[in-house]
Amino acid sequence: CSDDYEDDEEDINNYYNNNEDDFADSEEEDGDSTSNNNDIKTSNNNDINQSGIIMTSKLEHFSSKTMTVSETNEFLWKDCDKASVVLSITPAMSRLVLQASKWKLAVIKTRLYKTNKPNFLESGLQNATNSKSIEKVKSSRPKVCGVCLETLHRSKLLALNCGHQFCDGCWKQHMVFAVKDGMSQGIPCMEPECTLLCHPDFVKQFYPVNQDSPLETAYKTHLFRISVSSHYQLRFCPGVDCTSVIYGEKPKPRKVQCLTCKTAFCFECGTPPHIPTNCETIKKWLTKCADDSETANYISANTKDCPKCHICIEKNGGCNHIKCSKCSHNFCWMCLGDWKNHGNSYYECSRYKENPRIASKNSQTQAREALKKYLFYFQRWENHDRSLHLEAQARSRIQTQIEEKVNSNQGTWIDWQYLLRAGELLAQCRYTLQYTYPLVYYAETGPEKALFEYQQAQLEVEIEGLAWKLEHAGEYQRGDIENQMDVAEKRRQTLLARFVTV
Amino acid sequence: MSSIAATRVQRELKDINSEECSGQNIRIELMNDQFEHLKGEIIGPPGTPYQGGKFKLSIHIPETYPFNPPKVKFETKIWHPNISSVTGAICLDILKDQWAAALTLRTVLLSLQALLSAAEPDDPQDAVVAKQYKDNNSLFYKTAKFWAQIYAEAPGPTDTDCMDKLKKVTEMGFYRDPSLRALSSNSWNLADALDNIG
Ligand SMILES: [Zn+2]
Ligand SMILES: [Zn+2]
Ligand SMILES: [Zn+2]
Ligand SMILES: [Zn+2]
Ligand SMILES: [Zn+2]
Ligand SMILES: [Zn+2]
Repeated sequence: CSDDYEDDEEDINNYYNNNEDDFADSEEEDGDSTSNNNDIKTSNNNDINQSGIIMTSKLEHFSSKTMTVSETNEFLWKDCDKASVVLSITPAMSRLVLQASKWKLAVIKTRLYKTNKPNFLESGLQNATNSKSIEKVKSSRPKVCGVCLETLHRSKLLALNCGHQFCDGCWKQHMVFAVKDGMSQGIPCMEPECTLLCHPDFVKQFYPVNQDSPLETAYKTHLFRISVSSHYQLRFCPGVDCTSVIYGEKPKPRKVQCLTCKTAFCFECGTPPHIPTNCETIKKWLTKCADDSETANYISANTKDCPKCHICIEKNGGCNHIKCSKCSHNFCWMCLGDWKNHGNSYYECSRYKENPRIASKNSQTQAREALKKYLFYFQRWENHDRSLHLEAQARSRIQTQIEEKVNSNQGTWIDWQYLLRAGELLAQCRYTLQYTYPLVYYAETGPEKALFEYQQAQLEVEIEGLAWKLEHAGEYQRGDIENQMDVAEKRRQTLLARFVTV
Repeated sequence: MSSIAATRVQRELKDINSEECSGQNIRIELMNDQFEHLKGEIIGPPGTPYQGGKFKLSIHIPETYPFNPPKVKFETKIWHPNISSVTGAICLDILKDQWAAALTLRTVLLSLQALLSAAEPDDPQDAVVAKQYKDNNSLFYKTAKFWAQIYAEAPGPTDTDCMDKLKKVTEMGFYRDPSLRALSSNSWNLADALDNIG
């Protein structure tokens, strides 16, 4: 597909909305994409995307595009063309320079203007000392290929700019093995200590044109993988069997969603979206959860006993406000405390109370305390996760209920839409709440943590309020539920606005 | 075995065993006519505890040679920070990611000889040896020399203290190799060695 990039100039703007002059373009500044292209699926802020999740928060997303493999290839070669003009080398050679610079053309330009020297050394286009080998090329005597040790005529030997000549058979074999081994740095020259890399045009001469060749297929896959993984604006979609590439104009550790397979992930680290927790912390947390899964297993029970009448209660809804079916006692699923104390006043359930005298205790006690603290947060993390699943099932039930209502002439579809919206908003809020727990677990004790825990508690109250009202929708007015939605989302926004940085 | 690997090994053997290279104290022999397994030998360089020792190497030529490196390890036991005192495995960059197709068996053997002259304790293969090399270099020198004499026929009178202790341990019924490793790993302290023999 090296020919792809020659035929179309006019749709270059589809890819380079405000990138037209990269030199002035820094990835730091914020701003909306001015794009309005048609052939690439765009997900923007402030609208409802195909999965129906309401996107309201600029803190959580940034504009991204979902591209196919061929769209991505075209996009990459256009960058190579641009770099080629700047650097006065072929687009294929420019590709190596771009790969070594995370494809930041602005950086390449800045360096060129400042020092007058492009980074050919780091790119693998030039050696530190480049002179002596070139002279060898001039000799017209038959030469020995340093790899197969065959004596060959000069015409059959090929070299990169370093002048290290080898026969075409050896080059080809070398390339076949190099792409098979998945070398992450590209295909090096075969000479010891030579730092040059083979550029696409050099590789191209070793496979036949207009005919399928295993080397060509393997090399293109290899090149594509290196290019996308080195590109600061591109990510492979982590979705299973999805080949899409996500383009993020101004990369940030924020949520993006693949519009092909609907997988949402953090653009920075590739894990599921995790604000307000940052990438580093979520990685630590997820690793810890995986390592400690045995320890934590016993708490993953779906049943608990009512603290008052001790009847066994199975939790089958997402709401953590439980009303015992036997004695009507209202209690909290998480802490088994009376739900009355979970009211509008300060909500203590989400907060782990550290033992202030723990530092003076022996190491065994400290270890037990550490486990207790971890389990406290893990239990809440896990519980919200389970609630999310249960509430997803509830949403499909709501859908059915609405259809029944509409069919029996109890209002129109539009009249009941608010219930679905409430379900979606509940999911969105609960998801954020779930991801507040790793942050608190690792946070240092202090006023910042205290404020965060306070806002977390505020959010939790409203979320459980919304969950309760939605599970008992028959007993509440539309206005009541919409009001609760509003309050919950405001609490969520307040927390994110205060604690999400970068 | 692919034809390029076989022909190249053949050419290399001719070159390495020719007159030109006879002064370099390295040798390579075929184990069979498949060019897959080779036997190498390097002589311990002067000025090192390995001086004059004959160190045998096993060389395995992969199907993809020379595009991938040969697999080389020491057959002769050796006390060196970059070589495992147990398995003979070697930590050397050109046998791993710094391999280049234009490198040859001759350059590999010469590099190993150079490694005997200049260890790299900061990139160790054998942590125990590397620690001794850094913390107590004279003890390391004594131990490495003793190993070369025991295992590699290095010339010169052996250290009597080392020999006595080795004898004491083996007379208690332990085999020679684990006895020597235990003594060497425990600063030649007899009691410590007996506690940690294995
Ligand atoms: Zn060749
Ligand atoms: Zn080269
Ligand atoms: Zn996808
Ligand atoms: Zn992240
Ligand atoms: Zn009860
Ligand atoms: Zn509670």
